[in-house]
Amino acid sequence: MGGVPVGRRNLFSDRRRAVLGIAGVGVALLMVLMLAAIVNGAMRQVTRYIDTSPADVFVAQRGVTNMHMASSAVPLADLTRIRALPGVAWAEPILYLPDALATAGGRQVAYVVGYVPGQPGGPVSLVRGRAPGPGQVVIDQRVAGSLGLKVGDSVRLLARTWRISGLASGLTNLANTVAFVRFTDLAAARNLSGITSYILAGARGDPARLAHRITAATGLSALTRAQFSAQERALVQDMSAQLLQIMNLAGYLIGLAVIALTLYAATLSRLREAGVMKALGARPVRLANVVLSQALWTVGAALAAALGLTFALAVVLGRTAGNVPVVLDPGSVARVAAGAIVLAALGALAPLVRVWRVDPMTVFRR
Amino acid sequence: MDDIEVRARALTKTFGQGEVQVQAVRGIDLEVRRGEVVLIMGASGSGKTTLLSMLGAMLRPTSGRVEVDGVDLATLPESKLPEFRTRRFGFVFQDFNLLSALSAEENVEFALNLSGVTGRRARERAGRLLDGLGLAGRRRFRPDKLSGGEKQRVAIARALANEPAVILADEPTANLDSKIGHEIARLLRRIASEERRSVVIVSHDARLKEIADRVLWMEDGQFRSLSEMAADPVCGMAVEREGTPHYRHDGQTYYFCSPACRDEFAASPSRFLAPAAGLSAPG
Repeated sequence: MGGVPVGRRNLFSDRRRAVLGIAGVGVALLMVLMLAAIVNGAMRQVTRYIDTSPADVFVAQRGVTNMHMASSAVPLADLTRIRALPGVAWAEPILYLPDALATAGGRQVAYVVGYVPGQPGGPVSLVRGRAPGPGQVVIDQRVAGSLGLKVGDSVRLLARTWRISGLASGLTNLANTVAFVRFTDLAAARNLSGITSYILAGARGDPARLAHRITAATGLSALTRAQFSAQERALVQDMSAQLLQIMNLAGYLIGLAVIALTLYAATLSRLREAGVMKALGARPVRLANVVLSQALWTVGAALAAALGLTFALAVVLGRTAGNVPVVLDPGSVARVAAGAIVLAALGALAPLVRVWRVDPMTVFRR
Repeated sequence: MDDIEVRARALTKTFGQGEVQVQAVRGIDLEVRRGEVVLIMGASGSGKTTLLSMLGAMLRPTSGRVEVDGVDLATLPESKLPEFRTRRFGFVFQDFNLLSALSAEENVEFALNLSGVTGRRARERAGRLLDGLGLAGRRRFRPDKLSGGEKQRVAIARALANEPAVILADEPTANLDSKIGHEIARLLRRIASEERRSVVIVSHDARLKEIADRVLWMEDGQFRSLSEMAADPVCGMAVEREGTPHYRHDGQTYYFCSPACRDEFAASPSRFLAPAAGLSAPG
């Protein structure tokens, strides 16, 4: 069994200071956790079209390895060659262009997918209505809700007016949405002929081997669904990395400032007691233990509070703002916990120096 | 094997250098036997606390040596001093110096933790010590809920936790009323007599003389013989007989710390002669 938990007792003997310190650090960690959770959720949404696609292999123009902010043009002649390759169960083209859904009620940036109705490439979960006919579009129900649209309404897209034939789900994220029209309609809207953006292929057997075979036969870029999804996530992460780093840094700096101030004030108020402990024979390591345990209890309690609040916010946001999915994964929690420990260590530095230097002779000062 | 627990030889402590140099302790020799209570008295700034700090291994002497239980403190490296303090000394302070966030029991446990006794063993021993000092009902109380006398008894329990050979007490009765101060004094006496521990007390409190085996007077960093000292009848301060203001009255000579005290006495001697006070009778 251990000794008297002096650090914990010191921390919680002044409850107001303890609560303020924990709350301050908790808010900072909440910021970091929420950011991670929102980014995680957004990442899942960003790749949802790919992840839910029945395609085993995505084929793009040579050198293109993702969809977001990419421009890919593949000759339709290659579709025939791919279909003829061994191991190909099916192959279908999709056109993929960025634009915006527009109504009198607002705008929403949208990636438009042109596919052949009845074939893979369209919306996987059609929650209302039906696949698009000529001049028709399927949009995400979340966008429909926010723009006040329903099946049968009209919407502007690609400088044309389309009638909404159905509503899909799960394809809207913070930044954009996905809309589906017929392949031929999209080609006509953009005067495209003889080309497609991507070719989706189903594999008989190992998708990786098929992807390799397609690349070898056509010179096109062919990746398995998992590879293609990972490339997409990496690109989005690269684009947002700096912003995320700045926001994380801000969160950690706020946390550091709060914990450093709290610990320093707590240590100063008990500096004489540190001298008493030294006089009684406590080694500097024991005193360091007292300070560090206060720091760890502060960040531990703050992390627990921040985690609880993040889960609560995830539930609330899930119900009120479905396009902001909040996904807290164990990796993010582990990273924030590690960050919190670093925070505790850094915050304890100045107090450690103070108690390290305290003179046991202070016990004799009146 | 002799009975000497603490032995100081030619102990000197100098603070500062050059013009600001202060010699707080000057060549002190001191021996304290097991079971003995030594009271060191003296005016503020006389060097009592500096001496106590050196005896308690908190301050290295400038020269001279201190032996405790046969161990020369000068031979101990800095890293060994904390453990030595924990095991050989019990400290009792004027301001009690209890850890404010801990209960009475935890304060005693903490001292035990420092010597490696933890958990249930520490708690049980702390409890026994507190019970023995009449604090059974106060174990879970934090210092702010204890009276001055109770705090000092907790501090004494803490000092006894590791069964030290030597108890060093700095003004242990100064913040207590006379009744409680008397109780604490008797407690220290009992600890010395019954548990055969050496007790060194530095204090201004003349009442502690009752429980002391020896009283030493310290002035300007040195011990003075009590026979050379007299008490100022006005302020009660101990003063040397030589070179200090004095006044003859009714066939006796009285000694004063300052001309102001002498003049006040001379104006009305009867005001100051009624109660008997001081370290020794006027000569």
